[in-house]
Amino acid sequence: MSKLTTLAESVASIPSGSHVALSGFATARCSMAFAHEVIRQGIQRLTVSQCVAGIDADILVGAGAVEQVINGGGSRGRSGQHQCLCRAIEQGTLVSEELSSLSMTFRYLAGSLGLPFIPIRSLNGSDILKRLREIDPPVASTMKDPFTGEDWLLLKPLLPDVSVVQVQAADEDGNAWILGPRWDNEEQAKASSRVIVITERLVSNETIRREPDRTRIPGFRVSHVVHLPFSAHPSSVYQVYDFDRQHIKLYAEASRTPEGFKDYLDRYVLGVREHWEYLEKVGGMKYLSRLMADPVLGY
Amino acid sequence: MTSEIEYSSFELMAVAGARELKDGEIVGVGLGLPVVSSFLAKRTHAPNITILLELGVVDPQPIELGVDGLSDPRIWYRATVHTSFADMLGSVLHKGLVDVGFLGGLEVDAYGNLNTTLLGDPRGKFRRFTGSGGGNDIASCARRTVITIRHESRKLSEAVSFLTSPGYLGGGEQRARLGLPGGPARVITDKAVFGFDPHSKRMCLESIHPNTTLEDVLSNMGFKPVIPAELPVTEPPTAEQVRLIREEIDPQKVYAGG
Repeated sequence: MSKLTTLAESVASIPSGSHVALSGFATARCSMAFAHEVIRQGIQRLTVSQCVAGIDADILVGAGAVEQVINGGGSRGRSGQHQCLCRAIEQGTLVSEELSSLSMTFRYLAGSLGLPFIPIRSLNGSDILKRLREIDPPVASTMKDPFTGEDWLLLKPLLPDVSVVQVQAADEDGNAWILGPRWDNEEQAKASSRVIVITERLVSNETIRREPDRTRIPGFRVSHVVHLPFSAHPSSVYQVYDFDRQHIKLYAEASRTPEGFKDYLDRYVLGVREHWEYLEKVGGMKYLSRLMADPVLGY
Repeated sequence: MTSEIEYSSFELMAVAGARELKDGEIVGVGLGLPVVSSFLAKRTHAPNITILLELGVVDPQPIELGVDGLSDPRIWYRATVHTSFADMLGSVLHKGLVDVGFLGGLEVDAYGNLNTTLLGDPRGKFRRFTGSGGGNDIASCARRTVITIRHESRKLSEAVSFLTSPGYLGGGEQRARLGLPGGPARVITDKAVFGFDPHSKRMCLESIHPNTTLEDVLSNMGFKPVIPAELPVTEPPTAEQVRLIREEIDPQKVYAGG
């Protein structure tokens, strides 16, 4: 069954107050076009979960669309901190439930398996755990291993309402290929009630069936498929395009202050009607074509 | 050993980091200096180490080190496996198979506890930074960790503002009592190399870098480490190690700059 739709329609399926899981990592495969559309539609009070925060979460937080983030921390790497996220946490305007990469993955994994909780060795003895224990209703607890008597920390599963997965290729049914490292993408998508697939390339069902080993997200979990080239720009999509160093620098500069961020938002998000207009604004095909990946290098 | 070659403090630290790796070990690598240390070890005394990047990359052989950390596809190049967090941090690290994990941070205290989260008062005014990422997981689950950090009083701090990743906690058996394996084995700064006292688990000076004095080391620390009776000089890099870093591992000077 074809689930092919527009970005606007897929975003409109998300009510304010939803728990949205994002598949981006720092500056790789971030759902930027999706985030822009969420901001344009004025969706509010989101809980955004993600293993390692990406620039998609940063822009959503900066635009005031997010009430709570659940993640394992994160930055843009050497190009600096997620300024909007950091500012909101410093000013106390954002609820931040913070874990680590593995503890986030384990919580999604427990969610994907339908388990009530998952034991983990990480977080013990840390201030991260101290903070988690203050959350009500609880997300962390302990129990004795019934087999060995050893004490274990337990974490509650994460069960997002919807997972937004940014992929290289998918068919109309939502069967999706993820190329390159996949961080928490599969566990996250499978923990969620449904999945929105945003794909760089729309391929035929024949193509999917020729190489089913590549399929990471099965179509039956997917509610919407959006075909949108450069929808992760300025982050990278392995084997499709490199990250846009120049535009990330521009965003980094802008997001240093709330005023600069607002100008960025006005120009690149609220000042355009849709993704294609954004692509024109950042430089159009002539500019973007320089980012296209080399098939051997993947970037 | 007489050595007339010139090297930067970054190169000295990278070589000291490489020296911590034994051939055949499984190494969890974060961003920055550990990348250079690991690739250097692999090209010299430890050709059979397996390098893991937490987001799901096994044994990459990059031809450019990339500029944006782990999420930069440059560092994934020529990997043998593309996989996931659940695999790298779960079925390798959590299962107990990672021999060495590299860590860095904003602050480290006398017991090797690391802060990568915030500076200031966590309940009041603070400046927010990266948080854990895989740092806490590596600190909690690796067989041993190597910490690299700049040698400044505010970074080598008596108490960390926020304990993101556990070292030996309050010292002694505190870490072991929580069921955590391993712990920090070395701290490498741009002035010295430290280990940990086997009983108190307090940081213990092991060697001082060439052209540095004990006074310089101690006056730039926020706590007093254990000082052994005999204090050797850190072995400087060889000409070949420096050449490998400059010409083959980081020719674009992505990391060597800072």
